[in-house]
Amino acid sequence: MEPVLEIESLKKYYGKSGSRTKALDGITFQVMPGEFLGIMGSSGSGKSTLLNCIATVIRPGSGSIKINGRPVQSLKGAELAGYRGKKIGYLFQSFELLDNLTGYENILLPLSLHNVPEKESRERLEQLAGYLEIQDVLHKFPVQMSGGQKQRVAAARALILNPEIILADEPTGALDSRNAKTLMNKLSGLNADSGATILMVTHDCNAASYCRRILFIQDGTLFHELRRNFPEESRQDFYGRILRIMAQTGGGSANVL
Amino acid sequence: MFFKLISRNSRRSRKENGLLFSSLLISIIAFYIILALPCQDVMIFLKKMESDAINRLMDIISVFYALALFILFFLIYYASRFQLERRGHEFGVYLMMGMRRVKLFALLLAEDFGNSVLSLAVGLPVAVLLSELVSLVTARLVGIGIVGHQVSFSLHAVLWTAAGFLLIKLAAFLLLSSRISQQEIGSLLAETPEGTKRQLPSLCYRAASLAGILCLALAYSLAIRGDAWWDIRVMALAVLLGLFGTFSLFWGLGFLIGLAARRGKRDRRLHVFNFRQIQETVTRRSNTLALCSLLILAALCCFGAGTAIFRSYGDPGQHVLDYTFPVSESADGPDVIRRTLSDHGLDTCFSHLFEMKTGHVQTTDGTRDVFQMELVMDTLEKMEPSEDRDVLLNNLQYATCPYVISLGSYNQLLAAAGLPGLELSSGEAAVYMDMDFSTPGRIDLMNEILNTCPEAVLDGNPLSLTGAVQTTNLVTDRSITLSFALILPDEAFEHYTRGNYSVYLDAVLTGEAAGDAGLMSAISEMNRKLNETGLSYESYLQNMGRQLFYQVAAGYITIYLAIIFLIIANTVIGVQFLMGQQKSGRRYRILSRLGASYKTLCHSARKQISWYFGIPIGVASFSSLFGIRSLLTGILSARAKGDLPEMMMVSAAMIFVLCVIECIYVEAVKRSSDRCLLSLMPPQREE
Repeated sequence: MEPVLEIESLKKYYGKSGSRTKALDGITFQVMPGEFLGIMGSSGSGKSTLLNCIATVIRPGSGSIKINGRPVQSLKGAELAGYRGKKIGYLFQSFELLDNLTGYENILLPLSLHNVPEKESRERLEQLAGYLEIQDVLHKFPVQMSGGQKQRVAAARALILNPEIILADEPTGALDSRNAKTLMNKLSGLNADSGATILMVTHDCNAASYCRRILFIQDGTLFHELRRNFPEESRQDFYGRILRIMAQTGGGSANVL
Repeated sequence: MFFKLISRNSRRSRKENGLLFSSLLISIIAFYIILALPCQDVMIFLKKMESDAINRLMDIISVFYALALFILFFLIYYASRFQLERRGHEFGVYLMMGMRRVKLFALLLAEDFGNSVLSLAVGLPVAVLLSELVSLVTARLVGIGIVGHQVSFSLHAVLWTAAGFLLIKLAAFLLLSSRISQQEIGSLLAETPEGTKRQLPSLCYRAASLAGILCLALAYSLAIRGDAWWDIRVMALAVLLGLFGTFSLFWGLGFLIGLAARRGKRDRRLHVFNFRQIQETVTRRSNTLALCSLLILAALCCFGAGTAIFRSYGDPGQHVLDYTFPVSESADGPDVIRRTLSDHGLDTCFSHLFEMKTGHVQTTDGTRDVFQMELVMDTLEKMEPSEDRDVLLNNLQYATCPYVISLGSYNQLLAAAGLPGLELSSGEAAVYMDMDFSTPGRIDLMNEILNTCPEAVLDGNPLSLTGAVQTTNLVTDRSITLSFALILPDEAFEHYTRGNYSVYLDAVLTGEAAGDAGLMSAISEMNRKLNETGLSYESYLQNMGRQLFYQVAAGYITIYLAIIFLIIANTVIGVQFLMGQQKSGRRYRILSRLGASYKTLCHSARKQISWYFGIPIGVASFSSLFGIRSLLTGILSARAKGDLPEMMMVSAAMIFVLCVIECIYVEAVKRSSDRCLLSLMPPQREE
């Protein structure tokens, strides 16, 4: 099976030689179709830089990012815009819904951006709305929704064009625990039932326990990997293992390696 | 460091808010031009003849100047408020770092003063040059000639412009800085998202837009029927309905735009987003938009009606005679005047010098029913009903004791005008009607009747009316006009007037005397010479001066007001849009992350700008058609009203020109928006 996303020797340095910060320092990993991958690390470890590189918000210094075997860095203009809208779906920590558009209009926004006729995606929208339980808020404005509803509308927007991979940047960061749990259940359900590929950056161990595999990143390098023994290992056990790693990283890599 | 900060901040303000800066420049130019008006060639020239009227105009101009200052104060206050609000975070940081409020105040004052001085430094030289150009062009256009051109630079105007401009800037600044100084650092540091306006049920907006449309329709009908000019109460009602209708329509407009967002073709790129953006801004700023629309309407009316009135006064009609010397019976007989002229060597300056004889019928004591033309009246009554026919019927029924004109003198006038002379046999008469009382339509009606040589009765004797209606002015003085007169053969004229008639000595300058310097300067020169002779005279120039005065007054004041209104409306709309765009920057960033390219975002913003400007301009343009028609019917003279359709065409052309200017302005805002979007893009954005 071909990987959906291939990252190879990815580097991104900030600043000049005297005061250089190595945000990403030669990261290599792959994401297979239908995988639910988590990336964890403390603040400043480089996880957001990694996600931004994949989302083409920033250009890496060296290395390559390939989606379905195609290098992302070579994309320009319309192709690049198409990549952002169709190949990847982005789920933001602060939802990033347009507050002057209804839920329905927000979900359809990517269609409008990429000139996809509304008719083609109506069925998918109904499916997604049903699955994410947002039918009641479709015609409401974001200000009339709860945080969880907003994030689920945002998830529907990220999924509407059936992207190759969903990039989720701390999706539970702005949610209370109940809403966070609902959202993670829905995301992992989407992953399990529809085979959606998800790459999630988080430092919430609870959210991370929904993943099948977790990469730990520190000072711009990958330093550990956890795999859940699915289905033997329960989510609770996996959560325990994640907590242990996180406790160790609190003291720096010297305590782990 | 402090001064560096001041200069950097000032430069940034000018760059970020170039639109406001250019509007300030235009207002400086407008201030100066209106204040330097007394130094313009045309005004200096007119002052010699119409000093009272010019003085009155100057008084009005100072009132306009004060009014313009007052209005522009609000523009500056409004635009500066947005600019300062945007910098709230920056001020908070200064204060957090320990800057004292006094120093912050000094910093802002210095920035503001620096920008004002720069605006004056750029604006004033441009204004002086433009004023000079306007002076030269108008002088050339009205034929004064540029030989006697005087530099129109006025120190007085410069000082007043600078003083007025700095005064309103300072007043706005003081008000705004007091607001800022009262704010807590915390609230300055916090981002100020645009407050959400409480939404009412959609029925309210629906009802408001419907009420607005109804009120406007009613106001239009009152305006166009001309009822408004007959009764001040009707006028007040029309104005109030118009105002209420506009505000109500804009208040409810958000609902209609929301409908367009839902019903339109959603598949078009960012269609829903664009309409929601427009809906939000229109709903949030409905009152300001309505006010801007009214200002644009005022500007269009000023331009449209002003140009039409300018044109109607500007049409001097026929010009045949240059001078008329009134011949008083006692002292100066025509021969005495001729002799005086030749004594001063002036007789050679005239190509034509002839007597114009007019008088009343003296063969009867009565002044009523001396003349009857029942046949003419009957024929007229049988004609197809029209406004011209009714006016003619009304006017002619008073023509019972008409003036009579001697054929010999009238033929000399025709010869001077280069027209063939009239031939009348005894028992025949030609009809004379002054164009000031008539229109081409009425003359045509009259000619149609005269073709049949209708019989009339003058003092009991039959008289056959023949030939075409004559309209050539008898004397230069346009205040002497005859609504209806009869041209009689010389014997009949002598018989009916019994030798008791008025004589005017008409004169036409020779081609050499008129010279190349323009007729105006030729006549001015001749006036100077004639003044030395002690003769009383009336020159074409005096009449032209009067016409010119109306032209200049109508032209300057209407165009000046229109420019002021346009500047304000456009700047407010433009600045408001750009500020709104800045505040909704987050949305554009989200769109960019969802895959919208910079080009798509620019395209979307440009569409919004077109709508955002288009709505108030559209409403104003539509209203102006009715407004201008109402103004024209209310203000124009009877003669000019005959050309109403033509005037409306002139006005429509002016509105079109203004729309083109608007397009240029809109394009400028679009470019600013493109730049603004580029700055909103995430800084690390790379493509």
